[in-house]
Amino acid sequence: MTKTLLSLFLLFASSNLYGADQTWVLKQSTLAYHVSHPLHETDGASHAARGKGVCHEGQCDFLIAVPVKSFDSGDSNRDLHMIQVTRGAEFPMVQVRTRLPESAGGSATIKADLEIQFAGQTVHYQQVPFEVKTEGNEKHITGTIPTTLADFKIEPPSLLTMPVKNEIPVHVDMTWSPQ
Amino acid sequence: MKLSATKFALGAVLIFLLNANFLNAQDVSATLFGTVTDSSAKALPNAKVSVKNISTGETSETMTDSDGHYRFAKLASGEYEISAVVEGSGTASAKVTLAAGSEQEQRLTLGQEQTTPSAPPAASENPPNAPSSSQSQNPAQPQNQVAPSLADLGFSKAEEQGNARQQALLDKRTHMLKIHQRMGLITTIPMIASVVTSLNAGGHSEGTASRDLHVALGALTGDLYGITAYYAIRAPKIEGTETRGPIKFHKIMAWIHGPGMIATPILGAIAFSQKNNGEKVHGIAQLHGPVAIVTAGAFGAALLSVSLKF
Repeated sequence: MTKTLLSLFLLFASSNLYGADQTWVLKQSTLAYHVSHPLHETDGASHAARGKGVCHEGQCDFLIAVPVKSFDSGDSNRDLHMIQVTRGAEFPMVQVRTRLPESAGGSATIKADLEIQFAGQTVHYQQVPFEVKTEGNEKHITGTIPTTLADFKIEPPSLLTMPVKNEIPVHVDMTWSPQ
Repeated sequence: MKLSATKFALGAVLIFLLNANFLNAQDVSATLFGTVTDSSAKALPNAKVSVKNISTGETSETMTDSDGHYRFAKLASGEYEISAVVEGSGTASAKVTLAAGSEQEQRLTLGQEQTTPSAPPAASENPPNAPSSSQSQNPAQPQNQVAPSLADLGFSKAEEQGNARQQALLDKRTHMLKIHQRMGLITTIPMIASVVTSLNAGGHSEGTASRDLHVALGALTGDLYGITAYYAIRAPKIEGTETRGPIKFHKIMAWIHGPGMIATPILGAIAFSQKNNGEKVHGIAQLHGPVAIVTAGAFGAALLSVSLKF
């Protein structure tokens, strides 16, 4: 009897310690890469990302995915070349995974460890800073991921025999809402 | 005679340029491609295919497309272990030897193991704040069972599915457009030179040397232009792509410099004949100069439209 009561108590305590599971959905997003060339500075943006976050026992797992071909730089030829050089036809999705403590939503700045799958490669970025603004029950998150072509084994495209810079930072602007 | 010698020399330069390695955007790396099927010869999409260079240990991975096709491009020559796996359907593996510049097909049938598949490389240790990478297509397995997966996000199969054939088409397109770009740049050299030499070639000039040089440079320009145009026209088109941005202007300019490159030498030939007959250039031949200038201008604008940001 005592054991049963103790088990029930522990079960009740653990379920209330973290609260019920919370799910987050990516409501709105802009992901934009920046490419630097001696003659050109180019940005390609996508608004087609989808994401989901599941919080369980104080930890939240997030997944954001965006089709490679959804990035638009304003030039169709450049976009096709981008898809080719990033092997976007073979690996059509960019996937970003991260795990954050549930309490991170209350901070103005968070640092996330990201796992990014892109161009057939999986690359980990440690402690990438993001700003978090709470707008009602939604979270507005912005930041820049310091990606490079070399990280993903992408051959730098060139124009007039001059290659683009290795650094291709990706600016992220997301609005998450609870489901 | 002088004209023949000049033309021969310029022709030799052209042959040299065509064979110069820097024109060839394609290196001598090999390509390995094939199909993954089950024991009943049914093609298997979404099969994970890995290829490992036995000498260097370097591994690449890809997924088969909807037709079960896979493709690895830009592989160094050498011996490779290739393997395919589909969860619940088994594995397949084989050893292949790739020669430099070769394209080799290797079919893989699940359930027919010939060699032990190679294990994927472990992720390397990296200090904090530095990226660490591994070659993997499959997502890392979550520690808990509630982590979201790609299937939760509602993308269509077409958006999620890789297409090796489409990638091969894009690779070919890029290869040809790289040659187009380089040939276009090379063409500007004799084009500018022929414009410069035109100053002494026509009008009141009585000497033939400048005229002969101008003709030779014009002929070389025409030949290089033709090659440039060939690679642009024959580069694969990607279905469902709308032409937008500076490339649209670049293509529109071709409707000016294309016909111009045909009309200019025709008008030039008429003018050349008139001058050789001791006549003053007259009639339609007088348009040779203006048409050439418009053609060169459109060509230059086309080049600048994809080089600079306006």
